[in-house]
Amino acid sequence: MTDHSMSTDRSSMPPKAQSRPWRRLRNIAAFFQGNLSASIGGGLMALVIVACLIGPWFTAHAPDERVARPHVEPNAEHLLGTTRQGRDVFSQLLHGGRASLSVAFIAGAISTVISILVGISAGYFGGRIDQWLNFAMNVVLVFPQLPLLIVLAAFLGQVGPVVIALLIGITSWPWGARVVRSQTMAIRQKEFILSAECMGENRLRIVLVEILPNLISIVAGSFVGVVMYALINEAGLEFLGLGDPTIVTWGTMLYWAQSSAALYTGGWWEMIVPAVTIALVGGAMALINMSIDQVSNPKLKTGPHIKRWRKLNRLIQAKRQGGTS
Amino acid sequence: MRYITSRFLFYFVAFLIAISFNFLLPRIMPGDPVDALFAGAAGQLDPSQMDAIRAMYGFSDGPMWLQYLQYVKSVFTGDLGPSVLMYPTDVTTVLGFTFPWTLFLIGLGVSTAIILGLILGTIAAYKRGNWFASLFPPMAAVLSSMPAVVTALLVFYIFGLKLQWFPMSYAADPSLEPGWSAEYVGSVAHHAVLPLLVIVLVSLAQWVMTMRNAMINVLGEDIITMAEAKGLSQTRIMLRYASRNAVLPVVTSVAMGLGFAVAGQIFIEIVFNYPGVGNTLLKAINARDYPLVQALLLLIVAFVLIGNFIADLTYLWLDPRLRK
Repeated sequence: MTDHSMSTDRSSMPPKAQSRPWRRLRNIAAFFQGNLSASIGGGLMALVIVACLIGPWFTAHAPDERVARPHVEPNAEHLLGTTRQGRDVFSQLLHGGRASLSVAFIAGAISTVISILVGISAGYFGGRIDQWLNFAMNVVLVFPQLPLLIVLAAFLGQVGPVVIALLIGITSWPWGARVVRSQTMAIRQKEFILSAECMGENRLRIVLVEILPNLISIVAGSFVGVVMYALINEAGLEFLGLGDPTIVTWGTMLYWAQSSAALYTGGWWEMIVPAVTIALVGGAMALINMSIDQVSNPKLKTGPHIKRWRKLNRLIQAKRQGGTS
Repeated sequence: MRYITSRFLFYFVAFLIAISFNFLLPRIMPGDPVDALFAGAAGQLDPSQMDAIRAMYGFSDGPMWLQYLQYVKSVFTGDLGPSVLMYPTDVTTVLGFTFPWTLFLIGLGVSTAIILGLILGTIAAYKRGNWFASLFPPMAAVLSSMPAVVTALLVFYIFGLKLQWFPMSYAADPSLEPGWSAEYVGSVAHHAVLPLLVIVLVSLAQWVMTMRNAMINVLGEDIITMAEAKGLSQTRIMLRYASRNAVLPVVTSVAMGLGFAVAGQIFIEIVFNYPGVGNTLLKAINARDYPLVQALLLLIVAFVLIGNFIADLTYLWLDPRLRK
């Protein structure tokens, strides 16, 4: 709401209007500052993204070519060893990360757009529209997603990363939509919406300018959630052999490791490297997600605040007891 | 009563939607599923048998709505025709000998995880403020984000392959005669340890966090202050006032939890080669046994819907406000 009032009076307050992007940056910095889990998660995520973006240009070996004997142990030449097919695992990890992270982010974007559209429509318009959309949400929520994805992928036959991103994006929106809906319903009751309605602002403007900015933290949380979920499920689908095994991703790395029995034949690095990477990236995103959750729901916050409160409480108790005795 | 009826109707409609999805899937997909189906069975079946199967799966020449009604009827009568993968065994029979294993693992695993989660979540909510409690939420977040595939593979590698403490494949020693003999039951238990461990590891953190958050919310409410003011004992407050209210959001999240558990179960069964629904699903997909694939999907959906309905009944039992 403050953003809105400021943008209308921009001429009267030029310095503040100029500093807006900086304020945004400072807000983001404040989110990470002093929040250890957010910093660890964000740092790890940034590291992985940068490595997968620029890393593939610097790798010495092609990810999909035989460059050495099968199952060479990790050494200076092949940092993470080679696969059963004699391919370089380190190079596969960086190249595969590009594909896997792209799928995750595309799926997250698709799902977030759908969840905003559905959630705001249901929450703002209410009535019949809300009933139908809510019903659709509940039905999709109650269906087990992964078996559904597996069967869809099976009918489509060895699907590529783009199709996987589409499938996950289309099936994973209800979680986000549900929180967006309930938050929209809460915001709808606030006075500034009523005043905007009384001023005769059109509905699209109310939704985009008045409501949407207040949903940012919730939308960000559900975006990170879906990206995490998509990364894990993409790997899962490809591990089962439902993806296109010729494209190098973290999921197909698992698939090849499983189908060449890497664990049994002693080439543990072929399996453990992608598995641990997926777990680490998932964990990093879980930390970011949790921190966003704590910011938007301060009740869940523990740590220093609770400690300070306890200390105060103890002091008061001690004083009281001192007073009575 | 109205609550139960409306919930039941919702699940019934959801199941009908699943059936319709199943019906439409082979008909809207590119390529002819009937051809794909019979390509998998080539050499095993002669043309007259193929026509019989074609009719049995509802790929008759009648109008769409008639095919649809036939399909719905065949689902509810359990007459789903023979499986291609295990021809000439009926699809329903295949479900009959795979489903009990899945039900056994998932039932035991999820209930263990929920009970442990409730206990640990309560403790975590009460012990806020010390170093463990402030470390706990990020730990739980990271643990619950561990993909089931990864956890299953790691457990398989460490406890199965490296330490060789537990068997890595099958639900029981194949050389034993199935039955209620002590030896067979012991073998089943021995084989179930690692899969169960994975189920609990994958889902425990989520239950602990749900319970902890719910508990924190309840502990801030007036009823707790009131109970403390009345001088009730801490255990009584914890069990009869706080837990009873805090457990409600946990029951609600069973819906999502079951979906995740089923997803995890598929990977667990494949990694440990366990003869359940998930393992059979992948085998059916690889054999292009679409009737079996669809039947398994319906079975999984029905299982999750029934689980949700049971959760709703539990909710009703815990929350007297709904009993009208």
